Amino acid sequence: MPLTSEEVKEIRKILGREPTTEELAMFEAQWSEHCSYKSSKLLLKFLPTKGKHVIIGPGRDAPAVKVFKDWIVVFKIESHNHPSAVDPYNGAATGIGGIVRDILSLGAKPVALLDMLYMGNTRNPHANWLIRGIVKGISDYGNRIGIPTVAGDTWFDEVFNVQPLVNVACVGIAKSNDIILSSPQPGDLIILMGNATGRDGLLGSSFASKPLSEDVDKDIGAVQVGDPLTEKLLIDAIQILVAKKAVRYIKDLGGGGLTTALCETAADHGLGAVINLEKLHTRQHLTPLEILVSESQERMLIVVDESKLELVDEVLSKLDVQYSVIGYFTNDGLIKIFYNGAKVAEVPSKELAKPRPIRRASIPPLEALKGLKPFYQLPPEPDYREAIIKLISSPNIASKRWIYEQYDHEVGVRTVVKPGFGDAAVLRFLDNSLRGIAVKGDANPRYTALDPFNGAANAVGECFRNLVAVGSKPIAIVDELNAGNPEKPDHFWYFEMMLKGVAWMAEELRVPVVGGKVSFYNEDHMGRQIKPTTTIVGVGRVEDVSRVMTMEFKEHSSLVAIVGVTYPELGGSEYLYRVFGLEEGEIPKPRPASELRNAKFIRRVIRLGYAKAVHDISLGGLAIALIEMAVAGRIGVEVDISKVYTRGVQRLDEVIFSETQARYVVEIDSRYVDDFKHLAERMGVNISIIGRVADSNQIVFSFGPNNLVNLDLFTVVDIYNSILEKEVEGEV
Amino acid sequence: MSETSLHFVEVVITNKKGVKDPEGDTIHKHLILRKGYAEVLGVRTGKYILFSVNARSAEEAVKKVKEICEKLRIYNPIIHDIEVRISA
Repeated sequence: MPLTSEEVKEIRKILGREPTTEELAMFEAQWSEHCSYKSSKLLLKFLPTKGKHVIIGPGRDAPAVKVFKDWIVVFKIESHNHPSAVDPYNGAATGIGGIVRDILSLGAKPVALLDMLYMGNTRNPHANWLIRGIVKGISDYGNRIGIPTVAGDTWFDEVFNVQPLVNVACVGIAKSNDIILSSPQPGDLIILMGNATGRDGLLGSSFASKPLSEDVDKDIGAVQVGDPLTEKLLIDAIQILVAKKAVRYIKDLGGGGLTTALCETAADHGLGAVINLEKLHTRQHLTPLEILVSESQERMLIVVDESKLELVDEVLSKLDVQYSVIGYFTNDGLIKIFYNGAKVAEVPSKELAKPRPIRRASIPPLEALKGLKPFYQLPPEPDYREAIIKLISSPNIASKRWIYEQYDHEVGVRTVVKPGFGDAAVLRFLDNSLRGIAVKGDANPRYTALDPFNGAANAVGECFRNLVAVGSKPIAIVDELNAGNPEKPDHFWYFEMMLKGVAWMAEELRVPVVGGKVSFYNEDHMGRQIKPTTTIVGVGRVEDVSRVMTMEFKEHSSLVAIVGVTYPELGGSEYLYRVFGLEEGEIPKPRPASELRNAKFIRRVIRLGYAKAVHDISLGGLAIALIEMAVAGRIGVEVDISKVYTRGVQRLDEVIFSETQARYVVEIDSRYVDDFKHLAERMGVNISIIGRVADSNQIVFSFGPNNLVNLDLFTVVDIYNSILEKEVEGEV
Repeated sequence: MSETSLHFVEVVITNKKGVKDPEGDTIHKHLILRKGYAEVLGVRTGKYILFSVNARSAEEAVKKVKEICEKLRIYNPIIHDIEVRISA
C-alpha cells in the first residue's frame, strides 16, 4: 500500500525537507499496516496484558510468561495469509520461519509449532491446490528445522477459496536466567546474520497491507522462498550465542526487513544508529533502497558489545553462518544510513517506527443482523442418524490426520499427548521433572462472522476449555485477528468487535493477552472480506505430565457425565450448516462465570483421579463430543438424552447439537461416581450422568425408553478417519 | 482420424530467475565450493518430469503437457519458470 498524500505531507514535516527516495521507501515499509498497526493500535489498548506470570507483554517480537519458577515460555502467533494466497507452499513455509525467529529473539529454544488453517472448499480446484501447498509447506519446513507441529485447528469454507488464513504459532522455552532481557546501548555493534539479502520480498509488508490484486503475477517481488537449512543454523547459532552471553539484544528481520528491525530497536530504547549498507552481504548487486526494504527470509539482527565481537565471529564462523557488522547504535535518536560514504537517509527513529495511530470509522453492516436473529422457527427435525453421519463427514469435524500425519509431531520426544487424543497438546520440559505445558489454538470463523464480539469471546473460551480438559491451568493467550479492509467501516466494525470480545473474555477468565497480531486486507479482488476470524493460542501449566487427561473413552462400565447446562443454542452451529445449509442466528453466548466454575471443577476431578477421560463440547455439540471420545477409544457408548440437564429446550436437536459453551463430557471411574456427584454439588456445578461406556461396538443415543440412533462404531471410525483425505484427494 | 504415436515430453521446472533457490545455494556453498571447485559460480536446481504421451504429433503432445501442467498446477506460474520440450 503506497503512502497517502497526507502521510507524505507528514513525512515532510518530520524531516523538515523533501524526503529522499530511500527515506520514502523506509516510511512506506514501516508505516504499512502490517508493521505499524496504525489502524489497530488505539483499540489494542483494550486488551488485558498484565498478570503475575507476565515477564514481557506485547511490544517485543514475542511475549514471555513465567510458567514455573525456573521456566519461562515464549510464544507468539503470526499470520501469513497474503503470501500463502499467492504461493501456498513458500508462503506457509516462510510463515513458520518467521514465527520461529520471533521466539529466538528472546533467546528461547523453540520446541513446538501450531498451525491454525482456515482454507477453502476442498472440492474447489484452486482452493484444493492452496490446501495441499499450505500443508506441505508447513510440514516440509517444520520437519526440516526439527520442530514438531503438535496442535492446530482447521476449517474449510468457500469464503477462503481465494484468500486462505494461515495462522502459525511457535512455543519456546527458556530457563529463567537465560532469557535475554537486556537493552542495546549506544556504541553497540549492529550485526546482520543469516541469509544474504536479495531482491526477494521487496516491500512484502506493503503487499500484505492491501487487497489481493486480480493479477497477482505482478506481485512477484513480494514472493519469498523458505530456506529451512539456514533457519536451522540460525536456531543453533542463537542458542550458542545466548549460552555464551555474547549478545545484548536480538531482533527478527521479518515484515519491513532491515528498516523495521532497525527503527523499532532504536525507537524502543531511545537510540539512533549509523549504518553502512555496503557492508552487508548480499546475493546480488542491490541498490540502497532495495537493501533497506528487502524481506529476504532467515535473517536476524543481533546487537553485540564490541568486546564480544571476537566470540561472535568464532561461533558464527564455526557454524558457517554468514554475518556482517553493518553499523552501531548512537544516542542521538537518528537513523543515519550511508552507502559507500554517501548519506542516503537520516530519519528520527521514533517518528519512523511509530506513525500516528488512526481511529478508523466503524459501522455495522446490515448483514450483522443475521447474528441477532433468534430461531423462532427451526426446519423440521431431521433423521438423526443421517444428521450425525453428515456431521462426522464434515471436514471441519472429521479427523485431521491427513494433515497431521504429514507433520513430524514427535521430534524431540517432548510430546506427551499425541494429536487426536487430547483437547490440547502437552509437552514436557525434559528436565528430569514431570512438569510440562499444554498448548492449543482455536477459532470458529462462522461464529465471528455472525457475531464478532461473542464469536471472538467464544474462541477465548474454547481455548481455555481445551487447556483445562487436559488438566492444565491456563496461564496466558495470544490472539490473531484476521479481518477485512480497515478503510471500509463495515469491515472495520468486525475487527473492532472481535478485539473487544477477546479483551472482555480474557479479562473475565483472567488470562492475559500477552501478544498477538493483526492481519487486515483479507479480501478477494471483488472487495469481499473473508469471514473475519479470531484465532486464539493459549498456554497452560501442567504440574505432572503423567497425570495428563486425554479424551478417549477407556473402560466399559465407566459412567458418562456432561458438565454444564445445555441451552438451545443452535445459531451458527455446524449442525444447522451441514444439515440445513443455514448460517445464521444467535450464536452460543460466552459464559465466563460458568467457564471458571466448571474449569475449577474439571481440574479438581482430574487431580482427584475421578475422571478417566475429559473432552470439551464444541463444534457439533454433545453428539460429536461423545462420538469423538468413542472413536478415539475404539469403544462404544450408550447415553440417554432425556437425562441431559437443559434449560429452555424444546426439541431433541437442541440438546444433542447445541454448541452451548462451558460444557465438558467426562468419563467417570465407576468407583468414584458418588464422590464426583458430591464434589459437583459442593462446588455448585451442574452435572448430569447420561450413560455409560459400553462393552460393545455400538454408539447408542436413546430418549428414555425410545432408541434414537444406533451407530456401528467401526463404520463411524472409518468415516471419521478417512473423509478429509478423500475430500482432498477428490474421491468423494 | 490420423494415427497417434508415443511422444516423450520433458518438463523442467525451476524457480524464476529472480527467485531464490535455497537447494541450489546449499549444493553450491556447502558441497561444491567446499570441495574446491571455485570456478563454479552458481548452482540452480529444479524438477524434471518425463511424460509419455500418445498424440498425433509432437506439437500436440507438447501442447497437451503444457495444458496439464497449467490446469493441474504442477507448477506455480507465479514463482516458477517452466520448459516443456520433446525429449531428444
